[in-house]
Order: sequence, then structure tokens, then C-alpha cells
Amino acid sequence: MAANRKVKLEEILAEKGMPISFQYGGKAPEEMVDREVKKEPCERVKKLKELYFQTLSSATVEFPYWYTRKYDELEGEIPVVRRAAALKHAFSHLTPTIFPGELLVMGKAHYYRGSFPMPWLSEGYFMAKEDELYQSALSAGRTSADEVSKFGTGGGNVTQSFGNVVSIAGKFGIRKEEVPALVKLAKAWVGRSVDDLGQKYEKMVPEYQLKENIMKSVICMFDSGYTLPQGREVINYYYPLQYGFDKLIEMCEEGKKRVAGKADGDGIIGMDRLYFYEAAKLVLEGIQAWILNYAAEARRLASITEEAKQKKEYEEIAECLEWIAHNQPRTFREALQLAYTIHIAVLNEDAISGMSPGRLGQVLYPWFEQDMEAGRITEEEVIELLECHRMKMTLIDCFASMGVVGGVLSGNTFNNLSLGGLTRDGKPATNRLEMLILEAAMRNQTPQPTLSVLYDEKLPEEFLLKAIECNKTGTGYPAWMNFQGGLQFILDQYQAEGMTVEEARAWAIGGCLETSPCAWMPLTLNGKKYEIPGGAGQPTSVGVHFIANPKVLECVLFNGYDHRTGIQVYPPHNRKLETYEELWETFKEYYEMTVDCLAKCNNIQHDIWRKNNMAIFNSLLKPDCLTKGHHIGNMGYRYNATFNVESCGTINQINSLAAIKKLVYDEKKYTLDELRDALLNNFGFKTAAEVGSFSLAEQEKRPDGDKYDRIYSDCLLAPKYGNDDPYVDSILKEYEDWFCAMCRRYESLYGKPLYACQISVSTHAPQGAATLASADGRLAGTTYADGSMSAYPGTDRSGPYALFNSATVWDHSKSQNSQMNLKIHPSAIKGEEGARKLLDLTRAYMRKGGFHIQYNIVDSKILKDAQKNPQNYRDLMVRVAGFTQYWVEIGKPIQDEVIARTEYEGV
Amino acid sequence: MNREGKKGLIFDIQSYSVHDGPGCRTLIFMSGCPLRCEWCANPEGLLVKKQVMFSNIKCKHDSYNCMYCIDACPHDAIKVSPQGENLLYFERNLCLNCDEFLCAAACPYEAIRIVGKWMSVDDLIYILDRDRQYWGSGGGVTFSGGEPLVQHEFLQEMLMLCKDKYIHTAIETSAYVDTGIFLRAFRYIDFAFIDVKHMDDEQHRAKTGVSNKLILHNIRALTESGWQGRLVLRMPVIRGYNDSAENINMIIRFMKELGLFEINILPFHRLGDSKWKQLGLVYKYANESATPREKLEEIQDQFLEARIACYIGHETCF
Repeated sequence: MAANRKVKLEEILAEKGMPISFQYGGKAPEEMVDREVKKEPCERVKKLKELYFQTLSSATVEFPYWYTRKYDELEGEIPVVRRAAALKHAFSHLTPTIFPGELLVMGKAHYYRGSFPMPWLSEGYFMAKEDELYQSALSAGRTSADEVSKFGTGGGNVTQSFGNVVSIAGKFGIRKEEVPALVKLAKAWVGRSVDDLGQKYEKMVPEYQLKENIMKSVICMFDSGYTLPQGREVINYYYPLQYGFDKLIEMCEEGKKRVAGKADGDGIIGMDRLYFYEAAKLVLEGIQAWILNYAAEARRLASITEEAKQKKEYEEIAECLEWIAHNQPRTFREALQLAYTIHIAVLNEDAISGMSPGRLGQVLYPWFEQDMEAGRITEEEVIELLECHRMKMTLIDCFASMGVVGGVLSGNTFNNLSLGGLTRDGKPATNRLEMLILEAAMRNQTPQPTLSVLYDEKLPEEFLLKAIECNKTGTGYPAWMNFQGGLQFILDQYQAEGMTVEEARAWAIGGCLETSPCAWMPLTLNGKKYEIPGGAGQPTSVGVHFIANPKVLECVLFNGYDHRTGIQVYPPHNRKLETYEELWETFKEYYEMTVDCLAKCNNIQHDIWRKNNMAIFNSLLKPDCLTKGHHIGNMGYRYNATFNVESCGTINQINSLAAIKKLVYDEKKYTLDELRDALLNNFGFKTAAEVGSFSLAEQEKRPDGDKYDRIYSDCLLAPKYGNDDPYVDSILKEYEDWFCAMCRRYESLYGKPLYACQISVSTHAPQGAATLASADGRLAGTTYADGSMSAYPGTDRSGPYALFNSATVWDHSKSQNSQMNLKIHPSAIKGEEGARKLLDLTRAYMRKGGFHIQYNIVDSKILKDAQKNPQNYRDLMVRVAGFTQYWVEIGKPIQDEVIARTEYEGV
Repeated sequence: MNREGKKGLIFDIQSYSVHDGPGCRTLIFMSGCPLRCEWCANPEGLLVKKQVMFSNIKCKHDSYNCMYCIDACPHDAIKVSPQGENLLYFERNLCLNCDEFLCAAACPYEAIRIVGKWMSVDDLIYILDRDRQYWGSGGGVTFSGGEPLVQHEFLQEMLMLCKDKYIHTAIETSAYVDTGIFLRAFRYIDFAFIDVKHMDDEQHRAKTGVSNKLILHNIRALTESGWQGRLVLRMPVIRGYNDSAENINMIIRFMKELGLFEINILPFHRLGDSKWKQLGLVYKYANESATPREKLEEIQDQFLEARIACYIGHETCF
């Protein structure tokens, strides 16, 4: 609506004494009009973004070459020191590249969108398909997920080799001339990578064959200890921000003196402290050298640049880097550059997804506040820097196997930035910088860092509406997390390690929606004292990865046999399953067998990792490693009970149980054998792969498929989750109560109880692809419902309120998370009151105890067109399950699922 | 009230409805309407009677030669279209009085749908009690239709119960109902949209089938009754029918006279098209295009000029 019309409307209503609520805060109407306009990045970032759109995921062997070379020189050295020296060597040899126009600099590798494999973790999967190493890797259960995973073929993904570029691991391009070096490096790690060594010892677990079967049937999506052994955690930028690198190195030297030759009462690992301090010092030196190499490159560029503005920018970059390589940052820009540098340094140390900046706006607030007070920076300049930060974070690629990067992550790296929450003493933790972070995220819309609001009743309305406004732009972020719910989970899970209410209030999201323990750290800047939050726990989403719940149920129905692969996965139960209770009990038994063997095998992988491939830099960043003198593997972290059990496809499993209960046991309309026959024959339909669509709506019947019409119809019409129907919701409640408690009965390698983690990320596509038709009417090979609380597309016919009631029948704080994705038609949130109404909806779900909700505000018609004409939609972003990603970079099964989601609109 | 006791025939319920009154609302669509607007977007709500809707798009007769509904129908009302398209159609006059709906039960593809459900006051209150936890500030229930006052006894009971439970009530009505019934209901209504399709009685009869006298009379009666609620008039903008400056001027005069100052003009849309087809009816507006933005703004300006707050579509301030 034009501004003049708005003014008139306001006047007329004012005359009549009517409340005028065109926008929050009672600001001028003109500003409100502005809000409906799509925002744009600043000129500088526009160019950098254009460059990004033209760049492909590029891999290089530089880092692994220097790492391996040093590592091999030091045969016989103490493992932690040997690894530290190798890391130092690699960091200090990386080629620095700076791109014109960048304000924040440095990168994982010398390519704009660069990354590299880490063969010391796992070495077979990224070889060229014809290589024998790749072929031998294929035969193991560990790579089964690769076969059912799909990458989007557009955007920056290199899914096919071309010209001088070879496609590896399904997504990355590497120059042909580097391939021989890659092969040589990979071969150098055969038999001693975490993967290979882990496998050797995993085989000693009596249930190892069951584990192989589970991986081959894709009941479990992937291993933990050598794939992405860290991540889904909140990083802690505190130590370098408080002390600077020089002082930290000094602290390591002091630590060495303090502990050398002393056990201090700990006869097992007391002596290890010396080696850790030595290792920490080496890595710090390596990172320092790496930063200074970039500084030197900036100086070189300045010296050869004629254009005055660019020359000055290079000089400023050099000054910034030269300072932060040694000291505590002085300005907001230096602090942001240092935080970003720390971030990618951690990502270069290990294969990681979901390393989250946490509450970055609260961490960097001291510099923002002092710069603003001193007039050193304007808000527009801060926003420009934050836009640059978004660009740099979006350039991050995670190099891992196809099954992991494509099948699980959809290429996303989950650098989740949290906003809101409370302070240590329970006050709203939001600040002005967080408002600017939201503004920058609206102007420069990119997948990274994705945003999460830690919703609390105390948060100011202005902040909440600003966050909703960001949702309205259709970016999919921020997601909304329940602060109090997360806090209860944190207290419950970490109380044995000394967690208090005050400390629990520091929590933030690590990864897509993993509730992670954090701590408050005392920061001093120019004599002023602050308290900043940061990660204090080990990685989460490690341990037992993504169990396909519907597939476990399928195995129960078929006596432990997987028809897709022809493998007898579980020992036959040989039960007649005459009652629902017997079916449910058998499901639990198979499930517990699954968790048991996976927990054991993954514990071994992680144990190998902590012995040979432990984090050193990430360790020293987190409390209390530097104080205790212990790295992560020796439990230097404050909180170590972070390992979990992940599930996938919960809603299809629940709906299937409801259908079986009703049709087979209650109404006795069909026998189990009749149901089995229908499932095996896909209710008379062709397979999803034959049809070329993974969406239920587009499946086609076989010419002779009529005989299953009745049972198919009855299965579809059976009670479905999401409609406030107690018949099915009570099954969900019973499942959740059991599942959350069951996970706690298993133990991680750190001797701590596991817990439930209920997010699907992208695994609902490949795991759906490996699953027969299910009793809820889902056809074979089609994608499961996303998340854990989203309804199966098209089955929630009673609107979002009924869906919310169904979702909150159980206590979400018993689980690390739950996930609710809602698709809303743009018309429902348009207009002046749209934002307020979306906030009402969000708040209502939080009040009912829902843990998480996120929105896709996009017209399905646009998505369908984008599937047909991807070239027109390079910058279209959608929310998948806990993350925002470019449409063209996600695989077709997930695209189909997003299109099929039920769309809510208020017309 | 009907043959099944204290029940109302409801043809749809929408939760998180954001365009039908203040805040987030639950929208209850009640069957039955005395008007026959040619452009109607909810033709399935015209009668207080369950309706059979048949979607050719979902029907698999052509694909798999599916015959389930044909076999199930006791009235032989489902036929294969004679034009050789191999599509099914309903011979509606053969099954007008059917209340078994075996065809819908037989269809495995949900191509045949029965619209309308007899619901008790308790059934609806259960839903409202559930939904009110999610409305947030300023939300409530909106009764729509059809014309909700057709089932006025049931509506009256619902309204009284809602007020008893502190639920904010809104209505979307044509006001074409006995004045006594109308005013009695409004004692329990907080917010109302009343449609004014045309100010000229002849024109009104021509395309809605009824006179506008009772409607205008009721609006007048309401404003004179001391009713404390908020009234927003509504007008669907139908090209070449009610969008003339002259008609708008008449509305303005009427509003001024009664002291009314809010109107919501609704652009025509064709979303009802497929519903008419599914009911086996002919939609006269099947080829009519959506009202252009300029036309809507032209009308809005005319109202604003007269100091009447005019909102286009869902661009309201509530």
C-alpha cells in the first residue's frame, strides 16, 4: 500500500479513536512500507556474492600434503605432539589468497570456496570411482548411505567431472594434476586412518556382524567417529578474544613448567598434561604463522595496487591481521576477524559440520559497545562487516563422504548463530548488535550462518518482531527454539557434571538444533568487565547416528529380514505378532539391539579418534582444557555427556503403528500377512525410482495394481499424527516416553549416558529411499516426513493448532530437541498485521512446550517452477530440516519433500 | 437445529485463519445461504445438506479403469462421460436425496468427498478450547459460511457459550435474515463483517437472487441498537457489476448516514472455480480474471476521499 494511502487511513481511524496498529513500535508509516520491500546487500557484498554464485566447490591437497609429510617425519613421537606438529606445519604452509573487496579475509583453503580431504580420518571414499581404494571402500557397510544419497546437480556442486576438473566425493572438484598426489596421500593412510583402525577394533565387538547389516540396510545412516567426529557444538572464541595468541602461548609455557614430571594425584593421565601444553603451544604457533602469512599477502597486494581505495583496504587488512596474530583485539572489526579466523582454524583441524558461533552478538558486544561509544564505527559499517561475515561463512564447505555431505547435510555446514536467551542472572540477553545481525541477515540472505532465536517469554517484543520480519523475507531463518525447554534439558543432562541454573542459561544451539552446554566467561576490555557466553561441551550429534525408525518396524514385520538388500539384518524373532503389544515389544527389542551395537562400535571409533586424532586447537578454546591441562579426549571439557542417539522417520513409524493397530489388531480387517503382501508389492505401485519422483503425490500405479486398492485406501485413511487424534497421539506419547528413557541406558566412551536427539537433517530422503512401503500408506522409496514433529505431507488436515496439540503430547525437554517445520503461504503473513500473527503462532507453540519451529514462507508454485527451471533460481533458499540451503544445491528427494509439505495459509 | 438434534452442519474449519477478523482465529464455515451470488467462492456451503464433491483430477477411472464408485452407487448416478473422454460424471438428479454416500466410501483415492459434517456444540467448543491456547492476543472465533445465520438457533447457542468462556466472536454475514434473529445474535458478537454486494435493489436481485432491503434495514437497525462491537462492511469487487463510481458513492452515502467508517473491499478471485465443477455445477465466472490492483486502489481512493477507511483484501489493520 502506498504511503500516502496509509497516512490517510491512519488519520481516519485516529479521528474515530480506533487503535492503529500498522506496525510495531509506532514508527512512521514510511518506514513500515519499506519493510515489505526486499532488502539488498551492500555494493561490496553484492560483488562478493556474485563471485560466490560463479564458484564451484573446490578441493585441494595442500593441507593434507604438509600435514602428512610432518606426521611421517615424527614417527615415534607422543601422539598429541605429533599431531600438533603436523597441524602447525600444515597451517604455516597454506597459500594465502585475498579477494578484492573483502573486508574479512582468510579461508579454509586458497580457493574462494575451498576445502580438502583429511585422509587421516578416512581415505577411501573420495577416490576416483575407478580407483581400487574406492572400490574396496564400497564393499563395506560404511558406504551404503552413499548409494542412496543424492546431491543437487546445480549451484556450486561438482557432481560430474569436466575438462581439467575431476569430481570427487560426489560434490567437490579437484584439478586433474592434483589427483596423483591425492591418491598417494590417501594410500599413505591405509590401515592407520581412524576409519581403518576403528574397523579393525570394531570387529572385536561380538555384535559387529549386526552392525554391518544395519549399515548395509541403511537402518543407520552413517558412522560417527571418523566421518564428522566433531561439530554440532558451540565454539568458544573467548581465550583468544581475552588474551591474544602471544599470551596464550605464554600460558602454555607456564603450564608446562607447572606440570612437567608431576602426576598431581592422577596416576593415569596426570602426566599427559605436559604433552597437551606442548601440543597447544605448537598449534597456536601454527595458526599465528598462518594469520601472518595472510598479513604478508595483504602487504604484497597493497604494494602492487594502484587504486587508492583498494590499496588502503589491503593495508587495513594487514594491520588488522598483524595485530590479532599477537594481541587481544581492540575494535569490533578486529574482534570479528579474529572470531572468524578461529572458526575456520577449528574447521581445518578436523572434519566438522555444525561448528556454531553460538551467541555471537553477545560475544562481540563489548567491542561493539565501546566502538559505538567512542564513535569509531557506525551501525551501517557494522552491518557491512556482518554482511561480509555471512559471505565468508557461506563459503565454508565441509569435505566428507557423499552419504554424509549429500545424504545427511545437503551440503550445508550448520554454522548456527543463536540470538536471544537470558543472561546468567535471568535477564533478556538480547542487545543492539543482535538487531544488526538480523538486519544483515535480511540484507545479505545466505545459508550461513543460519540464525536461531532462543525464545523466552522475557524477550522484548521489538526484538521478536524484528526476528519475525526476517522470517517474512522467506529466508527460512531464524528458527525458533524454546529457551526454557532447552534449559531444562541441559540441567537434566549435565547436572552430574556440575551444571547449575545460572550456567545452563548460557546454552545455545550447536549445529542445526542441538541444544549444547555453554559457560559464561569473564572478559575485560579496556578495564571494563563483561561476561560472555561460549561453548563448554564436547560435540553433540555424535554416537549413534540416524536410525531409520520405519525401517526397524519393517524388519519387525518381516522377521528381521531386509527385502531390499536380501540381508537377514536381525536374528529372526519368529513370533506370530498376535497382539499389538507383542509387535510393540518386538520393535523395542530390535531397536535396543540396534542402539547397543552401534553405541559400542562408535565408541571404538571415537576412542581411536581421541587417541590419534584428538582436537588440540578446539580443545584449548574450551573451558577448562587450558586450566586442567587436558584435551577433549582426556575430558578437559567442562561437559562431556554429549553423545546421543538420533532417530529419523518418527512420524511415519507412529502413523504405521496406528494403521496396523487399527486395521490388523482392533478392527481385524486385514491379517498381518495381507499387510505384508501389500507392503512388499508397494500397494500395487511402481517404485519411486522408476517414476523419478520421491513425492507421494506423484507415484504411479502398476497396471495390475488394483488388488491392493482397498488396503491402500484403508492405510491412508487410518488415524494420522497431526490432527489432535488421541488414537495415534497416544502411540507417539508411549514411543517418546520409552525412547527418551531408553537412550539414557547406553553409555558413551566417556562413561556418560546417551540421550535422545530427534532431528532428521536430510536423512529422511536416503533412509526413505531404502525403505519399503509402510503401513501408513507411504510408498516404497519415498521420503519420510521431515524432522520429528512435522506431519507427513498432506496428512495434517486439521490446521496448525491441531498439529501443535499432537506435537506436544510428550515432554520435549526429555530430548535434546524436536523439530517442527511449517510451510506458510506468503499471503498469510503479508500486510501489516502478518508479522504479529506469525509471532502469535510461534509464541503459542513455545508456550505449549514445543521445542522448535521454523517456517518456509514460499509459494509451492515457485518451488515447482524452480525444479523445472533451476537456472532462474540460483539464489532461492528454502528451509529443509534445521537449516537453510540454496534450492539448486539440494537433492531431488528433499526438493520433492519440501514441495509436498502441507502449506498453511489464512485465505 | 436439525434432524440430528442440537447439531449444526459445518462444511469446514480453518485454524490459524489470519484474514477474517482481528488476530489469529479459528474460522467455522456453516452450511446454508439464502443468497445465490453468481461469483460465490464457497458453493459447497449453499445448502444445509451434505454435498458430494467429485474431483476428476484425483479420479483413476481413466488411468486404471477403476469402477469402485460405479459399483457401489445404489442409484446408478455415476456415469462415464459420453464424449469418449473416459471420464466419470454424476447424474445429480438421480442421487439428490441420497444420504448413504456409498460412492465416497468406495473411492480409494479420495476423488469423491462428502462435504459437511453434523457437529454438536460440544464438538465445536472442544476445538475452540484447544485452539484458543494458540490464538495469542486478540484472536478468537469467526463464524462464516454460507450464511451462519441460516442455522441461527445453533449459532445462537454457540455464540452464548463463547461469550460465557470469554472467547472473542466475529461473524461474516450477509445480514439477510429476520431482524429479530439478527439483533439477538449480535448481542453476543464482538466483530462483524457484513457484505454489501450492491446498493441498487434491482441489481442486487439480479446477481444474488434476493433484495437488499432487508440487508440495509438490518445494518441500520444494528447501528441504532446501541451495539458496541466493531462493524466493517465488505464488498466483493465484481467487474462491471458493483465497481462503478456511482455504486461506491451510494455506499459512501449509506455509511455516512449511519456513521460507519470502515469497509473492506475484496478482489474477485477464481478459487471457487474447481468447487463448482466438483459439485457438478456451472460457474459463470470461470473465465473472469482477478480484479486488477489499479481498480482496487481507485475504489480505495474514492472511499478515503470520503473519509472512510477502506482496506483492500487482507491489507487490514487488525
